[in-house]
Amino acid sequence: MWSLEQPDNGHKNKSGTNRNSNSGNNRVLSSSSSSRSSPSSNTSILIPQTPRRRTMEEVWKDITLSTFHQERPITPLDHHIYHHHHHANSSPSFKGMILQDFLTGPLNRPLPVSQTVVEQLPLPPHPSPALPETALSLNSGLEFQYLGPDATNSHSNSSSSGHNASFISSAFSSVAVGPPSPTGLFSLCSKKRLQENPAIGVDRHHKRMIKNRESAARSRARKQAYTNELELEISNLKEENAKLKKQYEELRLAIGNSLPKRNPLRRSTTAPF
Amino acid sequence: MSRDPLILGHVVGDVLDPFARSVSLGVTYKNRLVINGSEFKPSAVVDKPLVQVGGDDLRIFYTLVMVDPDAPNPSDPTLREYLHWLVTDIPATTNASFVNCDVGDTGREIVCYECPRPASGIHRVVLVLLRQIGRETVFTPEMRHNFSTRRFAMEHYLVPVAATYYNCQREAGTGGRRFIRDDRC
Repeated sequence: MWSLEQPDNGHKNKSGTNRNSNSGNNRVLSSSSSSRSSPSSNTSILIPQTPRRRTMEEVWKDITLSTFHQERPITPLDHHIYHHHHHANSSPSFKGMILQDFLTGPLNRPLPVSQTVVEQLPLPPHPSPALPETALSLNSGLEFQYLGPDATNSHSNSSSSGHNASFISSAFSSVAVGPPSPTGLFSLCSKKRLQENPAIGVDRHHKRMIKNRESAARSRARKQAYTNELELEISNLKEENAKLKKQYEELRLAIGNSLPKRNPLRRSTTAPF
Repeated sequence: MSRDPLILGHVVGDVLDPFARSVSLGVTYKNRLVINGSEFKPSAVVDKPLVQVGGDDLRIFYTLVMVDPDAPNPSDPTLREYLHWLVTDIPATTNASFVNCDVGDTGREIVCYECPRPASGIHRVVLVLLRQIGRETVFTPEMRHNFSTRRFAMEHYLVPVAATYYNCQREAGTGGRRFIRDDRC
């Protein structure tokens, strides 16, 4: 099956078809818009790892040289490319198919490369290889750039990458490329949502459940903390009250003993005579 | 002592390490005293509160820190902690001290008061009183977000002596569907 893959993702799959698809992808793009951005930016969607890019460029150069001169060295590589090129003629719908197929197979995780998307800026580097599979969608595109420096700094920090993954997948949990054009992305995402609902829906539901549990736990903790605080306050106040009452009684007694008894009303001479 | 509200509310875990309370701290917003875990609306905490600091020795100075450890969202606190207010060189008094930046003698406000405005979720807003080793030993931090009270205390040789916290959520309350569901997974 023809799939658009990064050389980086190809690293995961480690098969010749990856390179083929990459080069095929390159061919498709070059045939449609040869004057566009460099092959490296065309195909390197998520992880611009320089050594891989060089390899891909080499391959791409090989292919372009061979194909533009109408020469087909008989290699399995090129054979695949030719096969793919045939498919690539009907690019828009085929890209849609690829996207859907790609999305229904989450483990393979090739990346969809639409033309509009490809022309955009390359994404900021991802911290972990697992992350390119998760989405950089419209919502999180901007935020991801914000998180970019943080993410790269805390490269080995699993919690932050967990944050990134959850944050990124929180948006659409669909595979998109870079900060794409809104219309392009919406069309991609709507397709994806239709297609991947059964698979990703469960995932999303699961994550939602976990978040809900945490939220509920926090709510319980909050309630418990407040209740305890009030109980402590009550006991403090009761203590203080008892102490003050005792003090008052003691003072009263003390003053009562020292002072003479209050004189009852007595007639005293007030008249001047 | 698991019954301590500071521990139950995870203030001690997230913001501070366990400490011994030694100085009284009273925070009052518009004649309403802050009790640990009580709820305040953003409209009630717009202005800086009246802070009363106890303490026995008049020569000791304190720093007051107000942070939100649940920024921007309690389920995803990426900006933990957000510094709302930082007042330093508060002299201890036996009775009460009014922390007011207008009065020069009672504390220097080095990070001005910013009203908590939680966008989503229910945030804890923690006020911590820390004892300084001397005067003018505390410096202004660079940014409000991603502040760490622990690190700040370590850098400036501060010791926590009192803490209190309250909860704050959006004026209209949390829950319900909103246009941008930023707490969805």
